[in-house]
Amino acid sequence: MDHAIQSLADAGDFGKQVKLPRVMDSLRRVLLLPGGCAAVRERAERLETAGLFLGTDWAQPQILIPALSTGSLRSANTDTMVLEAVSDLRLLAVAKGDYQHALVSAEQAADHLSQVLAVNLSLLFSPPTEAEREQQGRMAQVSRELLHYLVAEVGYEKVLENLVDEIWRILRQRPIQVDGVKRMITQIAVARANPDVDLGASGLGADRLISSLYGTTEGCREDPGVEIYRTRLDSMDDSALQYEATGFARSMHDTGLVSPYHAVLLRFLLTRGEYLLGEAMGLSSTGRDSLLCYHELVRSLIEQAVHVETAQCVYGLTLLLERGILYQPPVAPALWRQLALRLSPHSRQRLTQVFGPTPDPRAWLLSGMLSVLGLPLGIGQGDNPTCQSARALSMWAYNDPDYLLQTLVWAARDDEIVMHFEGQPISSRETADTESTALQHDLDPVSLLVVPHLDRIYAEMGRRCVGRDGDPHRWINPEFHGWWSGRGFRINVDVATGQLTDIDEFLRHFYAGYHPFYNGNQPVIHPQPAGIAVTDSAARFVGWHAITVLRVSLDPQDVMRVYFYNPNNDSGQDWGDGVVVGTAGHGERFGEASLPFEQFASRLYIFHFDPLEPGELAAVERAELDRVIGYLRRSWGADRMPVESGATEQD
Amino acid sequence: MEIAETLKKKGVDVAIPIFEETVEWAGAINSVLLDNPRLLGQSMLLRDKSLMKRRAQLGGIRVGIFEEAHERDDVIRFLKRVNQTLLKLDGDPNDPIHLKAFDKAGCLGHRIIRTPDEVDLIPDDEFPMLMESHLDGWEFAVEAWVHNGRICFLNISEYVTLGYSVFVPATPELEKYRPEITRQVEKLIKTFDIEFGFIHPEYFVTSDGEMYFGEVAYRPPGFKVFELLERTYGFNAYHALVLAFDPKTTDEEIDAFFPKEVVDATGHAGCFGVYPRRRVVSRLSVPIETEDHDYFESHELTAPQAEKVTKRTAFGNHWGLLYFFGEDPYTLRDLLKRQEELDFYI
Repeated sequence: MDHAIQSLADAGDFGKQVKLPRVMDSLRRVLLLPGGCAAVRERAERLETAGLFLGTDWAQPQILIPALSTGSLRSANTDTMVLEAVSDLRLLAVAKGDYQHALVSAEQAADHLSQVLAVNLSLLFSPPTEAEREQQGRMAQVSRELLHYLVAEVGYEKVLENLVDEIWRILRQRPIQVDGVKRMITQIAVARANPDVDLGASGLGADRLISSLYGTTEGCREDPGVEIYRTRLDSMDDSALQYEATGFARSMHDTGLVSPYHAVLLRFLLTRGEYLLGEAMGLSSTGRDSLLCYHELVRSLIEQAVHVETAQCVYGLTLLLERGILYQPPVAPALWRQLALRLSPHSRQRLTQVFGPTPDPRAWLLSGMLSVLGLPLGIGQGDNPTCQSARALSMWAYNDPDYLLQTLVWAARDDEIVMHFEGQPISSRETADTESTALQHDLDPVSLLVVPHLDRIYAEMGRRCVGRDGDPHRWINPEFHGWWSGRGFRINVDVATGQLTDIDEFLRHFYAGYHPFYNGNQPVIHPQPAGIAVTDSAARFVGWHAITVLRVSLDPQDVMRVYFYNPNNDSGQDWGDGVVVGTAGHGERFGEASLPFEQFASRLYIFHFDPLEPGELAAVERAELDRVIGYLRRSWGADRMPVESGATEQD
Repeated sequence: MEIAETLKKKGVDVAIPIFEETVEWAGAINSVLLDNPRLLGQSMLLRDKSLMKRRAQLGGIRVGIFEEAHERDDVIRFLKRVNQTLLKLDGDPNDPIHLKAFDKAGCLGHRIIRTPDEVDLIPDDEFPMLMESHLDGWEFAVEAWVHNGRICFLNISEYVTLGYSVFVPATPELEKYRPEITRQVEKLIKTFDIEFGFIHPEYFVTSDGEMYFGEVAYRPPGFKVFELLERTYGFNAYHALVLAFDPKTTDEEIDAFFPKEVVDATGHAGCFGVYPRRRVVSRLSVPIETEDHDYFESHELTAPQAEKVTKRTAFGNHWGLLYFFGEDPYTLRDLLKRQEELDFYI
């Protein structure tokens, strides 16, 4: 390895590629040996100066995102895994003061490592899964060795603290899919039960998370198992039940997580009055009113959808009642239709394949539907590359639940969705292609059934726009998402060249349409689709992304912010150059992402507006525009700037 | 001409060919840069396998029987004549003949023919080609850096199996021919009027110790022999190339740069070219036995792009190389041989 590192160091920049394989191979072999991590750590500085990381993201350790290490360490590509391992060992050397790094301080390095450990906790406590063994072979053991070595150096205390913070950060966005979070909490519980692991004082913050799943109330404090808990309920009087009900409700509203015991209680309470049901869901007067008005419907929904396995939908049901959408005339009958719905064999098969045989597929779908209707902003696109479909589902759940329910029926019962584009019908069945039929394992039940249809229709709409000038979203978005998407369309990128155009005018128009100080204090009425240029934590362009603008208003610190929905599974993202998307603490509602108006405008490239509105350009001050353009210039616009001239003349 | 003039204006002294196809380009440019029109002709000699053989023969170097083929009938006639010369009777298995496209590098376009039926399989675009009789013997290659007509460094590369594996320096059995090999290479340098640069000839040594010339290239060898040399001797062979080609390099600089052959080697470095053995493959899987061998150093194999393995069209177009390094040449040789029986793609 030393020889290989030396020859890499000696090679000129253009020749490093040739020398790399030997370094990578020797690193891989050293890491497989006992004491390999320590050996690599000692050589970390030489490896980096020799140019191991040149041309990769690891070359700039300050931009690395701990959460992404999960993917790297489990990668089937050995080189990716080795680079991640070496990078972590390098940061350990930096954290311990053995290596003075120009770009990261010891504190930053230590912090990064504890986060890496936190998000990869499962590697510390569980042997490789079959999938890991299949994909990584012996390398699966290396990632474990690495983490054991790191944790021995860093200590559990810090790791757990980070993990708990991370879980709370994700939970504050109230995702529908909480399996990952539950797994992490389970890992913490396992660690706490292990006497060899010294957790220090930090473990205390984890208590609330663990108890929210496994020992929420007096009746299940010691995690007795659902059977025993059920028999205990029989012997409780009303005041004891009331105590249980409020305990679960408080925990659920606090964390967004639902304990399986909660589902047992709720089913049990079907035999009691509405009052205790309402208490168990922690309903406010609005929710309680919905429950009383539609008590039979709600009881049926609980009866059919709420099981130990699908407990999480209790939270969806609760919020559905709180949103008051049952008062929209079509919604209650549509839910009755859903309760009696016969699923197509294909739908049943898909649901069973992903969620397992119990409870039956219909219960899974119902529970998923309750979650989607209760938490429209909790939908995540999973590993699915088409963000448009997740955005559409979310928008319908938020703005037009009736339409969502209708679409779901078409997909689940008929295996076909028909949408119209410029007067012509598009059937998802006719345009079926092989690519979108792959099974996604990380989607909620509703997305699982509906998204493949939407993806096909969306792709077909795109095909019908081939050959037209400009960006096809001008025509697709309003037809795909709903009538409320403005037919007016504005883009600041020239599609043919990728260069920015009319930046000033684009921004003034956006201010005029959306900024309350420039549009007569008019709040956003309907959720509007918009396109943003996503950048990474080094402000480099990553790709175009679909989001929904939900609100624009002043935050508690009196900063004008745009609140939006991001179909990505985690909205809290660092887009570089100080643009950090907030998910809590700036007046965000659950599931909303937010940015100050200027920063948001700097990443925006497509927005819609109502063409019938006057559309006068806002007289935004030059200084403010320049700030926005500054953000733009320092990030994705860096190499897209138009030739200076036209922009200044208009002033 | 335009390139040569431009380079001259920019103060370039010499052009160095790196790939087979650039040999005559470099020759053309150098004839301008060094004001020596014969350099172009020389490079043509080194590019055309037929001219090359003739020139070698003229210089008194032993070569096998060879002829040019312009069409398939020529091939059939040559095959018959060669076997007639060898006094084969009807029904005896034919001795094979070798066919090589005139201007392709190394093993590209190299095929072996035993029966007239196989002649039909030759694609049209490989004509004209050189036909040679088959030489039974031990094939090896030489890398020689030449400066002012003098050999500054001569390496002998031993093939374990042609087209699969090579290692440097060679085993003592082959190295014992070094004095004779050096004489042969000197003869070659004289015959081809080579003043400076780098040559990569191939020879056969027959069981009675006779050397036969195969061919010579005026460019770095394939199979990453330069990498192997750097691994074992520690000098950068491309750097050496620059020194040998540069007319301004002094003899002192040359002597200071090159190590002493064989004695200065830190071990033996070899590589193995991987070909998938199965017709359908789905992924890369380096055998544990290879990966865990003390001599194994690295590989440059990549995941398969397609599941169907296309039939090998020639020697040398392997899917990637494995590198080995170790003390003992015999262990290394056996290890390289062993790799031929392993599956790297499954």
